[in-house]
Amino acid sequence: MKKILALLLALAMALSLVACANSNTPDPTKDPNAGTQETQKPDDQQPSGDKIDINVIAAEYGQNTKKWWADFQDEFNKTYENINLVVEVVSWNDIYTVVNTRLGSNPPDILNIDVFADYQADDLLLPAKDYVSEETYAKFYEAFLDQSVVDGTVWAIPDLASARAMYYNVDILEAAGVDKVPTTWDELKAACEKIKAYDSSIYPWGIDMTTDEGQAAFAYYIWNNGSDFTDADGNWILNDPKNVEAIEYAVGLVNDGLTNTDPANETRYDLQDLFGAGKLAMVIGPNSIPTYIADNYAKANTPKEEQINYAFAAIPTNGGNPSVSAGVMDRFMCFDNNHSAEKIEAIKTFFDFFYEDNRYSDWVLMEGFLPATSAGGEIVAASDPAMAPWVDIVGSCKFYPTAKAEWADVKQGVINVEQQALLGGNVQELLDNLQAEIAG
Amino acid sequence: MSNSAANTVKKPVSVKKVILRVLLYFVVLDVCVITLYPYFAMLCTALKNRVEIFSGNTILPVTALWSNFIEIWSRAPMARYLLNSVLIAGGSTVIAMLCGIPAAYALARMKFKGQTAFLGFVIVSQMFAPVVLLIGIYQVMQVLGLTDSILGLIFINAAFNQAFTIWLLRGTFIGISAEMEQAATIDGCNRVQAMMRVLLPVAAPGIVTTLIFIFINAWNEYTVALCLISTDTLKPLTVGINTFNGYNMIEWQYLFAASIFAIIPVVILFMCIEKNLVSGLASGGVKG
Amino acid sequence: MSKATAPKAVSTTKKDPYSGKRVLRKVEPYIWIAPSVILMAIFILIPIISVFRMALNNVSKTGQLKGFNNFANFTKILKTPAFAMVLKNTLVWTIVVVVLSTVLGFMLALVLNNKFRGRKIARAIVVFPWATTLVIQASAWGFIINKDYGTLNTLLMKLRIISEPVNWTPTPEAYFGWEIACGIFVTIPFVTFCVLSGLQSIDGSYYEAATVDGATYWQKLFKITLPLVKSSLTVSTVLNIIYVFNSFPIIWTMTKGDPANRTDTLVTYLYKLAFYNGRQGEAAAVSVIGFLILLICASVYMIYTLRKGDGDL
Repeated sequence: MKKILALLLALAMALSLVACANSNTPDPTKDPNAGTQETQKPDDQQPSGDKIDINVIAAEYGQNTKKWWADFQDEFNKTYENINLVVEVVSWNDIYTVVNTRLGSNPPDILNIDVFADYQADDLLLPAKDYVSEETYAKFYEAFLDQSVVDGTVWAIPDLASARAMYYNVDILEAAGVDKVPTTWDELKAACEKIKAYDSSIYPWGIDMTTDEGQAAFAYYIWNNGSDFTDADGNWILNDPKNVEAIEYAVGLVNDGLTNTDPANETRYDLQDLFGAGKLAMVIGPNSIPTYIADNYAKANTPKEEQINYAFAAIPTNGGNPSVSAGVMDRFMCFDNNHSAEKIEAIKTFFDFFYEDNRYSDWVLMEGFLPATSAGGEIVAASDPAMAPWVDIVGSCKFYPTAKAEWADVKQGVINVEQQALLGGNVQELLDNLQAEIAG
Repeated sequence: MSNSAANTVKKPVSVKKVILRVLLYFVVLDVCVITLYPYFAMLCTALKNRVEIFSGNTILPVTALWSNFIEIWSRAPMARYLLNSVLIAGGSTVIAMLCGIPAAYALARMKFKGQTAFLGFVIVSQMFAPVVLLIGIYQVMQVLGLTDSILGLIFINAAFNQAFTIWLLRGTFIGISAEMEQAATIDGCNRVQAMMRVLLPVAAPGIVTTLIFIFINAWNEYTVALCLISTDTLKPLTVGINTFNGYNMIEWQYLFAASIFAIIPVVILFMCIEKNLVSGLASGGVKG
Repeated sequence: MSKATAPKAVSTTKKDPYSGKRVLRKVEPYIWIAPSVILMAIFILIPIISVFRMALNNVSKTGQLKGFNNFANFTKILKTPAFAMVLKNTLVWTIVVVVLSTVLGFMLALVLNNKFRGRKIARAIVVFPWATTLVIQASAWGFIINKDYGTLNTLLMKLRIISEPVNWTPTPEAYFGWEIACGIFVTIPFVTFCVLSGLQSIDGSYYEAATVDGATYWQKLFKITLPLVKSSLTVSTVLNIIYVFNSFPIIWTMTKGDPANRTDTLVTYLYKLAFYNGRQGEAAAVSVIGFLILLICASVYMIYTLRKGDGDL
């Protein structure tokens, strides 16, 4: 008893100590740059009072992103001597952790990430029109801007997009006697069975239902079953009968042994690796897959005859539903850090510089993504014929309902439903529960 | 010194001894093979290209791509990361020892009110995973102006390693008789001198173990460094090599090449310091 | 209470007439522990307090506190069906990893304490798993046991032990098993070196005397070795329990708690809550629950082992 008391006392003692320590520490509202200045390297960034600092946190899309931003930063700082731009590139694995950790005490000025609704809900963001010049604002595809609307205001601007399609290994399909590339779910299942019968060591179909991107699988199947996450009025309809049917179909493919072994743990990385190695016949993947595969072969000097022969097609649908491609769009947003008018001007300058047509198409092409501006689209389509069909696809694809405040919970929720279903759960019940939890 | 040393004194080598010896080597060899296997796999992967990795047909690379090891240097500022890691791990070790040794000494050699409470507090300080404390840590660092600085990481790592330092050293100090220090005090040494000259040399094995422990922990720390450091050139190796874990693919060959490279300094340090572990044994033997 | 303190004060004044020196005596230990206390208070205690604040508040998705919410975070967590499973996983994970790694690590330390050729190299090799970042260690294990391109399957097929790739992780339990194995693998070196440091300060003459007295190996082990390394073994075990309980990278890298929380422990679970679902209040509540569990264990330990020690306070 005495010892527990001792423990509690220790805590209390330490608490009071902290209280003292707290009152002695310098005022946290002082110059927000005090911390960073001290550690800036003397190399090229001289901290100077009259320069306007802009801090950007940007997501790392691939191996070229870091260098691209470093060059961008140099060029920008040379062009605008009164601005000191610092871009921090953070990998996708870690970006949520990094951003959430800092939001409370030291939010960035500009953030490049996929979600925005949570930040908006806490009134942390500025409306897009406040920090983007009219000229630049006019460049974006209307449909893309619509994805960032809450209460009639656009809060974020698109930086790039990617779209998904079905990739298939031409040789495997041919050898297995699949004459026609499947366009419907029935054809898909039949094709999978043929492939399995032809060579059981090849996985016919790839599914990713992991925490990494399980929501994408959910979207592929429900969208191509003529349904959606929400109805036309924006109400969640997660347990819609069509959604239940869609997930049951996908889980059915797994249970019939027509897919990769472990969809709850094999991420899209694993799937594209398998597809690239010729061990997976068909998979829904992003437009960056050709770049990835070509890059592998180039580094390995693989002779042409050993390379896989593949193509892509529309995602199969249920019956007569139109095929829907899933689009993923990322954004820039500007945090409301009580910017001065000068700083807002500097931020506008930043975006004008970034979305300058040639620089922007360079940004998009760098990692094989798709542009979010019409001018960018034209340049990309013209410079890379392989990209041209994708530029068309991205104009018509569906996006996750990321503007809705419940999206984070829905995303985790549908992944959980998929994984429970893989373990033998009843899809209808699971989706009913999720719907009840989300819609209240 | 140890039982085997005692055994060698006896001349006749029995069959039993030989069997034991063989068994010993067998066990050691097994342990080494099992321990090294993941590193063997990592090394082989680091020397392959992606096509070969995912074909899954080969154990050894068809042609060893040593260029992967060179390429990581051009793809990321590895030398810089390495230097940062050394600074962070070294600095944390020094600070943790400077704070921990006096505390452990006080706990082992003095009686004072709140001793138990302090020991309890030390344990309590470990009960939250760093992942949980991230946001709070960041706020503290923000107030102190230590975000994005190596110094901040040094303090954090030193603080997180206090528990081990204090507990292990306290145990070591208690295990050593206080008589010699008392004798030294009578000879005119003050407490600090007595501790430095008499106690610490005898406690060398415990101190070396603690050193290695702190160094390795700080060397491997990932989560806090990730959130605290934003400038690329201030990142430690653990965070820096994450560059190879991209949005569209994980570059296993580079990731593993960089990881193997990151182990080397720790192993070298260990091999250097291991001598002291053994000589500590000698001085430990004197006191009996 | 007052009865106990009064005579004590009297007795000290009697013993030590020089009050200045007496004050110094009294204050001295606190000066010795001060640096450590300050370090931990600033860098660990303040963050811990902010966790408590979050646990008791309604927290917005971006981490803003929106006022005390009457323990709603706790009740919500305790009502979540997955929570019981996560708790069970955490206990299994902690107990199995700590027990097995302590036993194996202790045995390994005994082996490595012998003199033999290549001992130095063997010791250096044993450090390897410890010298590798957990994230990488776990990635490597995940890579090795992968069914489709993992090196374990390739190796066993080349050795003709198996004829076709084996799926090493057919069930969530199998995944959890591998994670536990990985946890044991990386924890063994820690135990081994803690014990080794204890073993090496043992005076060889004890063994010589025991050998002369005709003691067997096991007698020596239990009568001499164990009691003498007890303190370092206790330290390593207690800290291990805490570290393993709070261990994050292995499970996160290998499965992220998938499928459907089957491999989640408290820490990975709360990480998802905080950084994926944006429910930081609930995440903080989970960590407070974890803390209470550890605190109870630690209190039991403190009462048990320190009873005969310094009894004051």
